[in-house]
Amino acid sequence: MVGANTAASLNRLRLIATREFLSYLRTPGFWLSLMIGPIAAGFGALAPSMMHQAAPAPVLAVVDLSATGATPTITAALDGPKPLALLVQPPAAAVDAPTPAAAGAALRPYLTGDPPAGGPRLDAAAILSGTPQAIVVDFWSRDINDPDLQLAVRGAATQAMQQARLRAAGLAPRLVAQFSTAAPVVHSYSPRAARGQVSMKDRLPSLLGLGLAFVLFFAIFTGAGILLNSVIEEKSSRILEVLLSSATVPELLGGKILGVAGVSAFIIAGWGAIGLLAVHRVAPEMVAQVGAALMTHGLVIWFALFFALGYLMYASVFAAIGAFCETVREAQTLLGPIMILITVPVMFLTVALEHPDAPLIVALSWIPPFTPFLMTARLASGPPLWQVLGALTLMAATTTAVVWLCARAFRAGALSTGKLDLKRVAAGLLGRSG
Amino acid sequence: MVPALELEGVNKRYGDFHAVRDLSFTVDPGSIFGFLGPNGAGKTSTLRMVLGLIPPTSGRICVLGSSRARDRLDRIGFLPEERGLYRLMTPLDAVVFFAGLKGVSAAVARKRGREMLEAQGLGEAIGRPMKALSKGMAQKVQLICALAHEPELVILDEPFSGLDPVNQQGLEGLIRDLARRGATVIFSTHVMAHAERLCERIVLMAQGRKVFDGTTAQARAAAPTRLVLEGALDPSSLASLPGLASVEREDGQIDGSGVYTLTLAAGGSAQGVLKAALQRDLDISQFRLETPTLHDAFIVLTKAHGRHEPERHETGRHEER
Repeated sequence: MVGANTAASLNRLRLIATREFLSYLRTPGFWLSLMIGPIAAGFGALAPSMMHQAAPAPVLAVVDLSATGATPTITAALDGPKPLALLVQPPAAAVDAPTPAAAGAALRPYLTGDPPAGGPRLDAAAILSGTPQAIVVDFWSRDINDPDLQLAVRGAATQAMQQARLRAAGLAPRLVAQFSTAAPVVHSYSPRAARGQVSMKDRLPSLLGLGLAFVLFFAIFTGAGILLNSVIEEKSSRILEVLLSSATVPELLGGKILGVAGVSAFIIAGWGAIGLLAVHRVAPEMVAQVGAALMTHGLVIWFALFFALGYLMYASVFAAIGAFCETVREAQTLLGPIMILITVPVMFLTVALEHPDAPLIVALSWIPPFTPFLMTARLASGPPLWQVLGALTLMAATTTAVVWLCARAFRAGALSTGKLDLKRVAAGLLGRSG
Repeated sequence: MVPALELEGVNKRYGDFHAVRDLSFTVDPGSIFGFLGPNGAGKTSTLRMVLGLIPPTSGRICVLGSSRARDRLDRIGFLPEERGLYRLMTPLDAVVFFAGLKGVSAAVARKRGREMLEAQGLGEAIGRPMKALSKGMAQKVQLICALAHEPELVILDEPFSGLDPVNQQGLEGLIRDLARRGATVIFSTHVMAHAERLCERIVLMAQGRKVFDGTTAQARAAAPTRLVLEGALDPSSLASLPGLASVEREDGQIDGSGVYTLTLAAGGSAQGVLKAALQRDLDISQFRLETPTLHDAFIVLTKAHGRHEPERHETGRHEER
């Protein structure tokens, strides 16, 4: 009898999950979600190159008011296969100006985008004054938010000053030139690198960890969002009540969560396959490296565990919220604080890549709502096993408690009518309604 | 014979609100049972407790011989008051899905669903998404979803609401068929005419309390019989007739003629009143006897618990001339 009941219960769970899964497979939104990830990733990879090609090099004029002699050094520093700036002759009025301020005033019209007739349209100008050993640079720029060109000019002027001081100290120009071009050969080593010397292969697991953390974030909240909308639809059309007269809350909630998890897993698998195909096409040798990176420190296994727990926790919360709401607008009032909470780990993901053992990152990765994302990002750096297991255990315990509370709230919400009432939500969580 | 449903001293509280008070009744297997009452009487809360959706605050509920309703869900069909289905699902898929939840295999549910949908005139809509169906068609589909697993106990919460008269008649036929096949049908309504035509027994609720439990005939007996007289009559002469509780004159008199409604006192005889009126040579041009309907009984029985008006879908009284 117990066996028959279990079989019947599993059958209901399967039916609910299958219906949920298939209903989303038939929507355009699912296929859009499947395609949007690779498109966004491809765009992200190509964007810097596209930006560079689309944005022409800024036009720069160098005005040397006191014969500092730094102009050739600056010109050389900015030139190259991908020039940082296109140098043009400065207007005569600026060249002949008695002071840097006067030169700046003379250049100003050329920087406004509407230059005087026959004059160059400038994006930036460097006015050099002082002495060869103590150069003063007045840097004018149309774009106040782009410091790159100013830093390049500053670096070149610094080099010119250093060369002038070496010459003044009596060093032969040939030796000065040799010193200026001297640069060390740097080899990067780490005990975490497979062969000691750090290569792309060693950085790959960390980069994959970061990528997987973002995938996790996207998958969890896409899935939870789908679930929320699904429950709201069932609540507003009163299907929930019929379902509850045919299945228990665990069967219903579990089936729905499982069905949408299938949708998320399908999307992630689709993204993985498309990503591997792209890597195979661009750099076939990388496929094996990606495979090995995914197994580094059991990355893919931990990822699966954190995904399961994170998804279960957030999906339960979203489903319970949906059960109290008949419109998405109602749900938004409850989701606001949760959405703020979930953006916290995202803000720390890149920090977790660079400093996986920083005390703040370690502490945050123990907080269950943040654990799936931050621990996934930290995993490739090989954190102590006790930390991974401890955070996982804490996460599992928290998820169990959250699911239990949400199941109570889900039942109360599913049978409630009328406007959303926070008191009713609290009563549902405490099991005092219905 | 084990009752299909048995409630004993059931109470339901939502915080300070006492929704159902000390409710007890039984429903015989194979019968059509009316669970009546105005809006807010506690009907939906009671049905939800019967289905195990919410627990009673106190009392005992036994469904199909079990005190655990959740163990009997596969043998119960339920149509809630407010209805809806998945908008993108086809009627046949919906029937297969809901019957599947009740343990019916997909092949059997598909065959049975097709037959039931066709029998209800929905053959052409079988493959169309629910959103393309009219409200009446969608309601029929949902009813079929509730019945496709051939339940022993069918609970219908306000099943007639939203249906046009033709579909209401069809649903009445369906309910009778279910009972003929041995199923127990419990339906809640505040439209007395349906209950009057269908039910063998009713329970009437008002403000969470049971105010009547018995047959429809017994319920009607609780309401007074009325005799309507028309003619050039004097109200004081009518009031002096024996066995009357009250005399009311209706509006809209024509040519000095009046229409008077005489409410009989308990134990009063319409024949006796009429005989006395004729003996006194009262000028009666027409008369008719109005036996009480369930609607009248509803008014009388719920009067003590507030002014609740049932929905009157057709002329309330039975008339005998």
